[in-house]
Amino acid sequence: MSLPLLEEARTGSERYMLAPVADPRALMPGRKPEAGEQYRFHFDMNQCIGCKCCEVACNEQNGNSAEIQWRRVGEIEAGAYPFTQRLHLSMGCNHCVDAACLTGCPVDAYTKDGLTGLVLHSADACIGCQYCTWNCPYGVPQFNEERGVVGKCDMCHGRLEQGREPACVNACPQGAIAVEIVNIAEWVGTRAMEANAPGMPPAEATMSTTRITPPKNARGEFRKGDYHRVRPEAAHWPLVFFLTLTQLAWGVLTFGRLPWLGLGLLALGMVASVAHLGRPIHAMRAMKMWRRSWLSREVVLFSGYAAGAGFLLVTDQLRVGLGLLGAVAVYASARIYMVPARPSWQTWRTAVEFWLTGLLAGAMVTGSPRLALGVALAQAAMQIEKLVWLRGAGEFELRQSARLLMEDFRWVFAARLILLAGVFLPLEWALVAVAAGEMIGRYLFFVTVVPRNMASTFSGMERAA
Amino acid sequence: MKIARMLGLDTAAEKYRFGNDAEYGYTAESRVPERWVKTTCGYCSVGCGMKIGVKDGEAVTVRGDEEHPVNLGKLCPKGLSEHQFLRSPNRALRPLVKRNGKFEAVSWEAALEEMTSRFLAVQAKYGPNALGVLSTGQLVTEEFYALGKLVQMGFKTTNYDGNTTLCMASAVAGYKRSFGSDGPPGTYDDFAEADLVILIGANVAENHPILCQRLMQGPKQTLVVVDPRVTKTAMLADIFLPVKPRSDIALLNGILKILIEENLIDGEYIARHTNGFEAMAAVVRQYDSETVSRITGLSWEEIRRVALLFGHAKAPVIAWTMGVNHSTQGTETVNAICNLSLVRGKVGLAGASPISITGQCNAMGTRESGFTASMPGYRKYESQADREELAGLWGVAAEELPEKRGLAYPDIIEAILRKEIKALWIIATNPLVSFPNYDLLAQALGQLDVLVVQDGFHPTPTTELADIMLPAAVWGEKEGSYTNSERRVSKVNQAVEAPGEAKPDFEIFMRLAEKIGVKEKLFAGWSGPRDAFEEWRKVSAGRLCDYSGISYEALEEGPLFWPQAGGETRREAKRLYADGNFETEDGRAKFWPIEWKPMPEPPTKEYPFNLNTGRTVEHWHTGTKTREIETLDRMSPRAWLEMNPKDAAMLKLHPHDRVDVVSRRGRVENVELRVTEIVGVGQVFLPFHFAESNANRLTLSAYDPFSREPNYKQCAVKVERRPSL
Repeated sequence: MSLPLLEEARTGSERYMLAPVADPRALMPGRKPEAGEQYRFHFDMNQCIGCKCCEVACNEQNGNSAEIQWRRVGEIEAGAYPFTQRLHLSMGCNHCVDAACLTGCPVDAYTKDGLTGLVLHSADACIGCQYCTWNCPYGVPQFNEERGVVGKCDMCHGRLEQGREPACVNACPQGAIAVEIVNIAEWVGTRAMEANAPGMPPAEATMSTTRITPPKNARGEFRKGDYHRVRPEAAHWPLVFFLTLTQLAWGVLTFGRLPWLGLGLLALGMVASVAHLGRPIHAMRAMKMWRRSWLSREVVLFSGYAAGAGFLLVTDQLRVGLGLLGAVAVYASARIYMVPARPSWQTWRTAVEFWLTGLLAGAMVTGSPRLALGVALAQAAMQIEKLVWLRGAGEFELRQSARLLMEDFRWVFAARLILLAGVFLPLEWALVAVAAGEMIGRYLFFVTVVPRNMASTFSGMERAA
Repeated sequence: MKIARMLGLDTAAEKYRFGNDAEYGYTAESRVPERWVKTTCGYCSVGCGMKIGVKDGEAVTVRGDEEHPVNLGKLCPKGLSEHQFLRSPNRALRPLVKRNGKFEAVSWEAALEEMTSRFLAVQAKYGPNALGVLSTGQLVTEEFYALGKLVQMGFKTTNYDGNTTLCMASAVAGYKRSFGSDGPPGTYDDFAEADLVILIGANVAENHPILCQRLMQGPKQTLVVVDPRVTKTAMLADIFLPVKPRSDIALLNGILKILIEENLIDGEYIARHTNGFEAMAAVVRQYDSETVSRITGLSWEEIRRVALLFGHAKAPVIAWTMGVNHSTQGTETVNAICNLSLVRGKVGLAGASPISITGQCNAMGTRESGFTASMPGYRKYESQADREELAGLWGVAAEELPEKRGLAYPDIIEAILRKEIKALWIIATNPLVSFPNYDLLAQALGQLDVLVVQDGFHPTPTTELADIMLPAAVWGEKEGSYTNSERRVSKVNQAVEAPGEAKPDFEIFMRLAEKIGVKEKLFAGWSGPRDAFEEWRKVSAGRLCDYSGISYEALEEGPLFWPQAGGETRREAKRLYADGNFETEDGRAKFWPIEWKPMPEPPTKEYPFNLNTGRTVEHWHTGTKTREIETLDRMSPRAWLEMNPKDAAMLKLHPHDRVDVVSRRGRVENVELRVTEIVGVGQVFLPFHFAESNANRLTLSAYDPFSREPNYKQCAVKVERRPSL
């Protein structure tokens, strides 16, 4: 029977069968980087459907447990119904030209591989100080509690060496992730412009190499999937103790005549700091990179200061010199935190707040209540000024920090201020009250920082309640 | 060891060491198996081929099968972590019998003895149909075929249905009414070949992600997405039609009207191959621009643009899933879709078909072989010839076969409430989370004399209510075959042993047959799934769903489509109805005049929101598997309620507030509010995977009159702020 308008069904020839899937070879550069070049990721926002295959495949590839994501998917939204724009981001390591994780590392656990340009991390060298996790504006390095060391995406370096694509590239059903080769000088020349995308931190800070193809016809202001959710960061209790105690010790040793008290506080603080490490036994390695890392410098300076402070038991001659050394050591502490990836820390206020803690203790042990009151008022003013600055800031992360201080932690913040009034108490009690207040201050310092990061999803990654 | 870790001497380097897999290269050593077992994914009906990596008797990893034509090596996040639920702590390990409200572990013999004696006692007292059976879309075809015979011919009850009625029954009923038989005419390749794809109520990006790679192929394809919610799929569309909830029929009729008026119809095809055009056209003509725009919320220009695209498309595909099926007008919406394909003569051609994308991995297998909505091989209960043929194949008298279908799933529940059904056997499904109107179901199950639940997982909300709990093997632990949405049959293989005393469902069915003395009559000489498959090949021979040319050996080489007549091994798909001959008596397809009707429970002043329910990519159905997989559960740890910012502002609600969602039937407490432009004003969306925030405490008991599928997608709710603590 003839059916003029009825086409003969093409019964599934191979060319149709194989058409749909992106050829993985097209997602790989097909050659190795030459001098002045490196590998990088490309991510196409138009292709991504937010399925999170890349995340699961990454964890399977690296044998990581569920709480670790070396690759993550985020969501952003713009526009009004029904013209809503709903897009996804997927990110592993950006293998930055100016890798902040590498610069800050006190033990040289990071290398920028000479042949591939990949930022690689050595678990053997790592002491688990987690400084890189604060330095990276993308939250890429993650501390593995089970191992006591940090780990991160290495673009499946071992697979690349075998001529295979990374696990995320392999898993993506949409072909949204690819590996490319980039000319480093040219990329830096453009200020890593093409690494910017809605929902991503500014790429220029570290010269991220990931090229992102933004959505076609994107319009409107994009809002992160986790825009309204602020989650406190980890408290890092050993560091709360370390910072408060060493700063108090510096004040007591410099301005008072209570060397045993000062030395005791100093020793306690330094022991506490070691407890923060994932691998305390290798604490001494932390001094290695003093030419480059503020963390190394802090360790070197406080070690020197502690050694010198012992002489205060027998002689007072070194007091001024030691006082200055201590001030520099406290400054080194502050500099660790003054990093672009953590906007509410990256301010002169961090150093001033740390110094004021020491000066407060110092003023109290000089026995002058008026001086002590003056420093306490300065510290209180600092805190309030900081809050005003945070509230009025243009940057999203700063405003979120203000929100944490005024909402989630408002009573803690109030307690921190009230305890400054402890200077009116007799000296022993005053010291206890002020130490407690400053410790709460450091606790707030850690929990209310809102790091820069890629947008997350609405639920983010957390355990079911 | 712990001290070494605390000091940092030990960094668990062993555990995190990398190794080399001969086939897949450099990877975590913990994921390097001793051997690979080819199988098919056990979640959805896309039917992806995969390999399970086995080491020391445990499944340590999975990989997509690069040679499998459905997915060519890709898997979705659920597939990529599928091995992880096999050893989850909520696996059912031993047969349990409840005594004085507490489960006691018993032997298989004791459990099956108690089950059959109590079933038979109920049937002796109240009649054979006092036993109801609810099965699933999760078993292998061999098990469905065996179970159908066991229930209908062994236990002799016709009150047998599956959770597929909660899923794709409307597609089945719709296909039957329009084309004379169930069976999707097209294949997945049509998505790649089509020049126009219209997705109606189908969020493939979230629910069938591996199908997405077939979309958006050339610049020559236009993708139209019809959905009230701005889904991930809507974001892929060239044209997104944000219809008002439950207005698809008005939209489809509007398009049909334009096609007819502008003479963009295939008159010759209609004349040769269809019936009922005039009656359909008469109804459609009443759907003028004003009516359609008012009902759908779309401008007539938008609708006309899509109508003209469809009218001029060489190869248009219309595909749908639960947005269409989960409705009291689901079947009729399917008929309206088929009307549209028929007026253009676009059925069964390359890139041109109305395609139902199914839900569960083997919903198709039970449709074809399962003895629920039809007899095995799409045979009709009402047909004397069909009954005689089947009886002949089985060597039984035709009188032994039922002359009409028994009760469908929701009617079984209502029959329990009427005390007509006193014993219930639930297999591999979790109605306490998945069935609408929770309270009604809970009341029904409480009235039973005996409830037997057979499942791979325990405890689940359903197994907890059981009098007898039978632990079953699951995907990865048994052999058989699945048939996917496009009629492609794919082999399922055992990689590991089931934990504890859990047994493959097939074995449980055989032991039950022995117990009630029908083993020799119904399953003579059967020892494993292959025997069931061989019989099914014979029983399906010559039918539309012809498996006779499909052997286990050929399946091990790769999947095969039905129809596959004996003697041929054809790897390519054969589309249905390409010659214009349909499965109706006169071989003609039927146009149905379809009238749009309002949703059963529209929003009111007191219950001002329309509740839409659905899924998220990380989870599968009621979460018994995926919520045990920590990687997935952390991505999506709890339910959320989507609400438009304008509504949230009106209710003075803020993002991440905890709210209660309340319908006339129940309340879901403490749901996290997601204020988003994904949903329109007056609409809220709640995912249904989360037992503790069970969306089905809200949904209503309203069913499609043809398919008996529940109306999950629309009911009226209000949203209340949680009293602050």
